[in-house]
Amino acid sequence: MGVTVLQQFPIVENRTGPLTIDLLTKRISALGATQQGQFLVDCETFTSIQQLGHQRTVHVLHNSEQPATVFSILETGTKTIPLATDGLFDLLMTKMNNFYTAKKQTKVESKGPRFEIGDFLVKLGSVTITQNFKGVLVEVEYKPCVVPAMCWELMREFLQGFLGSSVPNTPPAYLQNRMQEIYTPIDTIHQYLEQFTMYRKSPGMRT
Amino acid sequence: MAYNSNSVNISVEAPIENQIQEITYDGQEIYQAPLTLSESLAKYAQKIDFSRALSEINVKKESGDNSDDSKSDGDSKDAFQSNLWPWDSIRNKLRNAYQEVCVLSDVLTIAKEKRYMVLDPVQQEPIETKPMVQIYARKKALTGAASVLLTGAERLKTSQNELLRNRSTPDFHIELLRLRQNWRLKKVSNSIIGDLSYRTAGSKYAQSGMFEVTKAEEEEKSSSPPSSPMPVPAPAKSNSSLRVTVPSELQGVAYIEVLCQKDQEDLCSANINLLNSAPTTANPDVHWQQKLEAAQNVLFCKELFNQLAKEAVQLQAPIPHMVVGNQIMATVLPGIQLVIGLCHSTSSEKKSSQLTPPPSKSDHDHVLEHSLHQLLREVHHKNTHHPFPHPSSAPLGPSKKRYLAGPMAADRYELLEMTQSETLLEQIIKQAQHFFMRMRTEYVLDTIAKEVKDPLISSHWNTLNSPTQSCVKINISTHGYDAVCRTPLVIHVGEKSLKCICRDGKVMHMSYEPQELRDLIFCHINQHQILAVQALAKTMGWQFLGNSNHLGLGAVEPLGNASSCLLASPIGDRLIAVRCEPQSGVQVSVVHSPRTDFFPSRLVTERKWEHLGGQFREVRLEKMEGRNFLHKMELLMASLTSNS
Repeated sequence: MGVTVLQQFPIVENRTGPLTIDLLTKRISALGATQQGQFLVDCETFTSIQQLGHQRTVHVLHNSEQPATVFSILETGTKTIPLATDGLFDLLMTKMNNFYTAKKQTKVESKGPRFEIGDFLVKLGSVTITQNFKGVLVEVEYKPCVVPAMCWELMREFLQGFLGSSVPNTPPAYLQNRMQEIYTPIDTIHQYLEQFTMYRKSPGMRT
Repeated sequence: MAYNSNSVNISVEAPIENQIQEITYDGQEIYQAPLTLSESLAKYAQKIDFSRALSEINVKKESGDNSDDSKSDGDSKDAFQSNLWPWDSIRNKLRNAYQEVCVLSDVLTIAKEKRYMVLDPVQQEPIETKPMVQIYARKKALTGAASVLLTGAERLKTSQNELLRNRSTPDFHIELLRLRQNWRLKKVSNSIIGDLSYRTAGSKYAQSGMFEVTKAEEEEKSSSPPSSPMPVPAPAKSNSSLRVTVPSELQGVAYIEVLCQKDQEDLCSANINLLNSAPTTANPDVHWQQKLEAAQNVLFCKELFNQLAKEAVQLQAPIPHMVVGNQIMATVLPGIQLVIGLCHSTSSEKKSSQLTPPPSKSDHDHVLEHSLHQLLREVHHKNTHHPFPHPSSAPLGPSKKRYLAGPMAADRYELLEMTQSETLLEQIIKQAQHFFMRMRTEYVLDTIAKEVKDPLISSHWNTLNSPTQSCVKINISTHGYDAVCRTPLVIHVGEKSLKCICRDGKVMHMSYEPQELRDLIFCHINQHQILAVQALAKTMGWQFLGNSNHLGLGAVEPLGNASSCLLASPIGDRLIAVRCEPQSGVQVSVVHSPRTDFFPSRLVTERKWEHLGGQFREVRLEKMEGRNFLHKMELLMASLTSNS
């Protein structure tokens, strides 16, 4: 498990989602990457019912990179509580259906091919909200390192190398506060949730 | 009168208790059942014996009037029979008796008058007595009485015997209690069923290990010894009042045989057998404890073999494992096969072949025997002993690591690693491979130690090792010069490879071929000689000019390179060159410069040029004195030093 940076890739006017993925696949393959299967990250959001008082939101996320784990992030309004649990958590959520109801039309997914190139792991995900294509998210993981501050420069260079100038020079907002800390899988989940929330808020495609 | 008034009415009646029919030996009284009213009446009625009187009457009647009366009688009988009155015959008999009594009283009255009838005594003729008949009769009566007494005595004796025997053999219930302390029993309707399988210990083998507990019938056996099929009637050994019945497929003796074959030739074998003195369990007289243990052993061996066979079929080995009948064949190393066989003799007729052990196959390896056994036990243990704490909601079985995989967010590689586990067969093959590697290493080291005398080679095996890894430390030293130079080597013996850690910290990996190890040791012997000469030179005050471990000069060696070194005497006038080759041994050459005498020639005109050195002359080491190479070198250096 190394440091992961999630980057949104803008879609040009006259290009569709699959075309964008194709373009990126060509670019990364040209660098010498080999495809190693597919990946999937999904997110479902539950909100507490009125009777429980102050409204709380639970985001339940799955990452195919950690197949035995269910991640959940509880937002109480004042703070967010991340939780990594066993697969049985899904069953627990169905039991709690009466108190936490799933929001309609909010299932977000990012899936696509997964590439390996040296120490880097590149995932090209097309984001869909209930089957509607929303945009493209590129995840890059640098496996040998666990402290973001030590490898950000390298990762930025690599990202800019095949994504172009759309990659900013500063690390993502979420990572900026945690540059010196040890990176954990839940940090990846936080980045995904931030991106997914933005996709939900924006109508239509993000460019 | 007063007595009369105080008189008590005494009623005399039959006791309420019933008549005692029999008193058994233990003092228990067996009563007759009381008669019902009708039964007692019938009994009393039967006491009346009318037969004689009736027959006399009949005779009289028959003599009197033959035809008419009998006819009328028949008619009347028919009529009565039609009535079906049960007391009919008795009434008839009573009526006849009454008739007779009437006639008798008439006769008596007539006789009393003495006018018409006089009663005279009649002279009776004496009854002739036959003495022989009497003797026979008495004899018969006496034998009858004697037989009654004898049977009585017999019964007393058997009861006495039983009492004695019961004192020596424990009671059935006590024995059952003991059985229950060691074996699982349960009561199913009227029988006691036990379970000898390893299921409670974690086994998942499907075959059941049920046995039945019954009470031994001692009396039946003692009363009919010829009928019981006892081959050897030994009364002393079967003193148990309890008998266990084991299913036929678990009877007999079973063991697992492990053979290592090299080109169809047995190298070593191991027999797994829990009970060394295998009892013939088919024999009914074996004690139940031994019988059950043997049956359990059979079950264990079957499970072990079943598991191994299953794995052998499933495993994808480069050379596929073979399962033929009761044998599994797996290739351990090229040319060496591991054969695991299940031997199970069920019937007692194989007893003779059992007792003479199968032709002893050179080495009986207790280690393989033990480890196979241990491996299955380990599986059993893992099945029952789940790591704590158990999540109450999660299924039992996964390892602790797997439980934590979710919350610790393990990635797919870690999860994949968790799923991989070694099967029993793989483990035993690894152990066998290690066994061979160890044997080969031992052999190589021993032969080299025998071949090479000059540097001494001593090897120390670590006593603590695992079934798949062991370690040997090798010391190369010269006798008498241990303190001067010593070359240590450490060899880790693995499953299919050797790892050698050399003196300078270099790590060499070798395959299972013994020749590689042999070459390595020879190279190190060479190196040792050169290093030892250098170390010796230092102590002798000689100067060490240079050395090369891999000399590019001279003939090409079949293995390794020649190594050499150059030494100079303290004042520098003499040089010794040593060349060491793995194949041809050590060559030593000496040069003097300047020579003590100088003859100017056309090329070398001045004495100073002599300092450049000259011709090296080889020393014939074999002609020199000294115990070994280093000793010879010491003497050589000493002599060259003193000369100067």
